[in-house]
Amino acid sequence: MTLEFAVRIAEILLGIALLQQSLEFLRGIGFEKRIAIFRVLLSVLLIAGVYPVWVESLLLVTSILLIRRFLGPYNGGSDTMSILLLLCLWGSHVAPSRLWQEVALGYGALQLTLSYFQAGWVKLINKEWRSGKALAEVFSFSAYPVSESLRALRKRNQLLFVASWCVIIGELLFPLALLNITALMVALLFTACFHLANAILFGLNRFFWSWLAAYPIIIWFQERLPDLL
Amino acid sequence: MVKQFLPILFPSWRFFSGIGPSPRVELGFVVGRDESPDYWVAFRPLPQRLTTVQHIVRLFHNPHWNELLFINTCAERLFEAMDEFYMDEIAHRLLAAIQRGEMSIPDKQRYLIFRIRAIYSEAAPVNVMGNIRDEIFVQSRPYQLEPQGVDE
Repeated sequence: MTLEFAVRIAEILLGIALLQQSLEFLRGIGFEKRIAIFRVLLSVLLIAGVYPVWVESLLLVTSILLIRRFLGPYNGGSDTMSILLLLCLWGSHVAPSRLWQEVALGYGALQLTLSYFQAGWVKLINKEWRSGKALAEVFSFSAYPVSESLRALRKRNQLLFVASWCVIIGELLFPLALLNITALMVALLFTACFHLANAILFGLNRFFWSWLAAYPIIIWFQERLPDLL
Repeated sequence: MVKQFLPILFPSWRFFSGIGPSPRVELGFVVGRDESPDYWVAFRPLPQRLTTVQHIVRLFHNPHWNELLFINTCAERLFEAMDEFYMDEIAHRLLAAIQRGEMSIPDKQRYLIFRIRAIYSEAAPVNVMGNIRDEIFVQSRPYQLEPQGVDE
């Protein structure tokens, strides 16, 4: 995959993620609602590939305004990933040379890899995650399950133990997938299913779209990696 | 500003590293500023179950749930330190939901009060779930209600 093609596909997917977020903000209040109208238009332009540098610049400015408004990201990690990816894509357009273009996109790929590895590491060193108890607590009393019926899963100890270790191992092994394109495709399929499950069980729909948007960048990065090493 | 932007440029991806106290927001109505609500109502209680179609729709569009996640984030920040910004932020969102008609205001009630409960499990051996504790963390000041049905 060429750098230009990866950027274009990532822009389309990120445009969809930002459009999804902005359409939700249209149902909000005050400032977020007013700025959402503008961001809906910018997201459509990003998908269409019209003046990407200017569109991404304006999306970054409005993202900063939203961060100031909420004293941080509105939706935690999903907003962080979408703004970070936006910044990397914008950086690839304004970079003065091919090398800096690759640095900008490489940083996005690095952060995507870290997002899985670090999340897996903090779970591995937590004995409550290793025993499955942490997931039992998530289903038992956290505010995340999207329906009362899902709380019954807290009693499925064996299932939660296996699920905990699948998540820990899957996240920790993600960086190794960069060694081979087939392994990376399998890993991305696994992580996409993981984000889909989080969207269904915990209502984290924005994470699904934001992380998916970074996948073209990591596929490009994997192909570029042998030349860099 | 730098303090808010740096965590985005250099993020920490420590999702679900530990399961801390979980907030629940409840609201009540009063006639006078000095009164206490007779009863409390959960804000956006969970449905018993969701259909497949609802799950699919929510994958694309779920503004109320994401707003509830933001309100919970505000409440979690209040667990760390009291801050009027987050109290007012929660109140404005509850008032807007009431204004849109998400819940009805009992007759003659003029003020909204909300409270945040903290749900957590007591310390217990690693393979055993601790007793679940449910405590009232904070109660807000009264916020004046606006007429319903007027969208912002």
